[in-house]
Amino acid sequence: MADMIPLTPAANEKSQDDFKGGACKLHPQTMCPAFGALRVLARLEGAQPAMITDAGCLYGLTFVTHFYAARKSIVAPILGTAELSSGKLQEAALAAIAEAAKEQNVSVIPVISLCVAETAGLAEELLPSEVDGKPVVLVRVPAYAIHSHPEAKDIALAAVMRRFTEPTVEQEAGALTLLGEVFPADPLMLDAVLRKMGGRVMTTLPGRHVDELRLAGRAKAVAALHPFYRETVGLLRERGVPVISGAPVGAEGSAAWLRAIGAALELDEERVEQVAQAEEALARGFLASQPLKGATIMVSGYEGNEMLYARLLIEGGAHVPYISTSIGPNMLTAADEAWLKNHGTEAVIYRKAIEDDKAAMDRWSFDLVIGTTTLAAHAKELGIPSVYYTNMLSVRPLFLAGGMIASLSFVRELMNRKPLYERMVDFFTEPTA
Amino acid sequence: MTIQLIRDISDSSAYWGAAWVFGCFPDLHVVCDAPIGCYNLLGMAVTDYTDALPHMANLTPTSIREEDVINGTAQALVRTINDLRTLGALEGKRLVVVSTAESEMISADHGRLVKQLDPEANFFWSQSLDQDEWMGRERALAFAWEHYGQPYVQPNTPPRSPRLVNIIGPSLGCFNAPADLHEVRRLIEGVGGEINLVYPYESSLAATPQLADAAVSVVLYQEFGADLARTIGRPQLFAPFGVFGTTSFLRELGSLLGTPPAQVEAFIAHEKRTTLQPVWDLWRGPQSDWFATVDCAIVAGRSYVEGLQQFLGTELGMKVAWSSGRPRRDDEPDNIEIRRRLHAKAPAFVFGSINEKIYLAESGARASHYIPATFPGPVVRRTTGTPFMGYAGAANIMQEIVNRFYDMVFNFLPVEQVRPPAGPPGHGGPPPPPVATPAPSAETMPWSEAATTRLNLAIEQVPFLARISASRSLRQAAEQLARNRKLEAVSLEVVEEAISQGS
Repeated sequence: MADMIPLTPAANEKSQDDFKGGACKLHPQTMCPAFGALRVLARLEGAQPAMITDAGCLYGLTFVTHFYAARKSIVAPILGTAELSSGKLQEAALAAIAEAAKEQNVSVIPVISLCVAETAGLAEELLPSEVDGKPVVLVRVPAYAIHSHPEAKDIALAAVMRRFTEPTVEQEAGALTLLGEVFPADPLMLDAVLRKMGGRVMTTLPGRHVDELRLAGRAKAVAALHPFYRETVGLLRERGVPVISGAPVGAEGSAAWLRAIGAALELDEERVEQVAQAEEALARGFLASQPLKGATIMVSGYEGNEMLYARLLIEGGAHVPYISTSIGPNMLTAADEAWLKNHGTEAVIYRKAIEDDKAAMDRWSFDLVIGTTTLAAHAKELGIPSVYYTNMLSVRPLFLAGGMIASLSFVRELMNRKPLYERMVDFFTEPTA
Repeated sequence: MTIQLIRDISDSSAYWGAAWVFGCFPDLHVVCDAPIGCYNLLGMAVTDYTDALPHMANLTPTSIREEDVINGTAQALVRTINDLRTLGALEGKRLVVVSTAESEMISADHGRLVKQLDPEANFFWSQSLDQDEWMGRERALAFAWEHYGQPYVQPNTPPRSPRLVNIIGPSLGCFNAPADLHEVRRLIEGVGGEINLVYPYESSLAATPQLADAAVSVVLYQEFGADLARTIGRPQLFAPFGVFGTTSFLRELGSLLGTPPAQVEAFIAHEKRTTLQPVWDLWRGPQSDWFATVDCAIVAGRSYVEGLQQFLGTELGMKVAWSSGRPRRDDEPDNIEIRRRLHAKAPAFVFGSINEKIYLAESGARASHYIPATFPGPVVRRTTGTPFMGYAGAANIMQEIVNRFYDMVFNFLPVEQVRPPAGPPGHGGPPPPPVATPAPSAETMPWSEAATTRLNLAIEQVPFLARISASRSLRQAAEQLARNRKLEAVSLEVVEEAISQGS
């Protein structure tokens, strides 16, 4: 970290007026919303999805599901004008369910109803609730009504939770359920710290097996690490499970989160305080060097967890004037948004389009862009170091002091790569003879 | 009407096909009347994995919302076009609005509205609910010719030059198009042709009338493109595969172009000593002997299926166990049947998509080699070095298969171990110490007739090169089980158990 690249002076960019976003929102930045549901459901062991939709939708969604959800064969009925106009939708769904039920070791058959099926009107009451003892769960995820893929993850998870979480089980003292797709090492790190406080992590949702959904209902509390699980959180609240929003990021965030968890799990206050202070001291020790001091960074993601990431960057010394996300605003993002606005963030854009992000690129000069694929490509075309948001987040731990050190060190390294980005853009944008 | 089922769909819809054709033109902007999902999957997610493009820059959705499903998408379309104008995205560009399954579902036919908004613009009713990507591509090419080509061409105009050749077909979402195109271009030029338009891949919409300048059209795929070539009315040839298929193509093309036969033969002779030399060398080497001992299955576009059947089957003598082309004919296996066949008995080489790769993984067919030959499935094929077509394609496929043979030998020839060492694989560091397994006994153990028959039957399911190793390990495992049970001989039950344990 000795070779600091000279960074854009932050003083140049004191803004004249409030940033409103792009002039129009033509290209929304979200994966097909339904993919969120498929990702969560296809990853459940023994789940055999039946998709009710047209061929083009099926092609796109199975393509991405096979590639980065689960390599699992997926059944669907052929739905063309003939089937849709002759009232065969219901029969088609039943045929697909029957085919899915033929597989070995089926734990659940999620029936995923997409745009054309929802427009034609698939009736839940005419679907079986199980076939040969195999549970059938209808999940409605028309892209036109759900506006981002994280929100469809929530709908899918809530649908299977409703089916598998036992309503009347006894809660286990000290047990916490984590809610959010996190780096695999993160739950282990959290569990280790919770054990020092007298608690433990029971399971992490969305799970890999329906048993994990059952288990989740037995936790004393749930930590909604990602801020889009509104339905799931509502479902757990109905069952009397307290919900803690936010996540253990950075020095301030980690300590506050540990205290909130301690209170929800009714752990020994003194022990909790000791652990919280130790974590904070560890984090502050690292932050003393302010590894990102002077850097202006853009964070544009999909799932609302950009705000967590931005908090880390800001504590590391960076200026993060602009954050955008695909989800809509809700109570689970409120605390993080308030913290960010108190720490130099000027704009938090929900349900963003690429036009918003590009307008922000014009407004501020960034030393690093952590963004959607389209935005990262745009930044690379300008010679700005940039990285696809999900690649950034899915490859290293994020939480507590350990996650913070890993994440901030990586960000620092990325900014040191600026000459590579500049050389590439110089070469490839040179006018050809 | 009976409901038909699809497993892991192989062909996309006409909306995709049309957008993959229209998307090639830098002077055209495409608005799809679609919910955000149909835009994102095509324009941002999948095309990044099929064509290695960060995103399709000239595609914009109307972003159909719930209220549009109820009230129609006209307002959304007007807003989208106005916004595009505001951004200047339509300057110097033509505009085409394409329907999607969802907009067709609510009968959003904007033919008249589009003309009102922009008399120069056109509406393409993609028939996405009923037509597949191949029909969509074919109709998009016909549409481009009808609206942007034919009106600007005098009827009965002769070719501008007798040597000019169109290459029709390569577009987005076409597996391996850059490499095949490169090879076909090289072959055309090799026999004296001059490339007119590579349509739509390297063309603009404005250049469409120039299709009529060519004397000959080479259609890259049998799946689509031939209709456009027929409409243009020049002699047409399909792109060739294999050593002998390509040679016939060159002679035929040479004669269509009026190239002196001596020049064509000189090119072929030169190719034999250069591009095709590895085919001749591998054929004379021991490698080609293997071709007679293995089988393959081919799942791919119609051109690839026929081309590989001809080259691997007819020219090299490999057994093609079965195949399934796209678009699929009724007598070819669908994915439900393909899955069943691959689970029952996987050929040594399986050309296919990610679907076939999944089916092989499901059944643990470790002795089979999967070779990407079609979409769906993420694979970068953007260099010119991986053709299937032409002479270079023959050499490339032969080289690829021989290398897979080498892999097979590496993985399956016997080593002095009954079971692989325990422990997590692939984590660097020194190899784990060998696991203490009882040494196979030197004494020969008798086998019952039923047990021997079962052993042979099991080995029959294993591709040829892997059989030596498979028979050896199964035999050892069965004998060890028998010894553990203090049996005098290997019985049928013992063999069954050894098989079920995955030996």
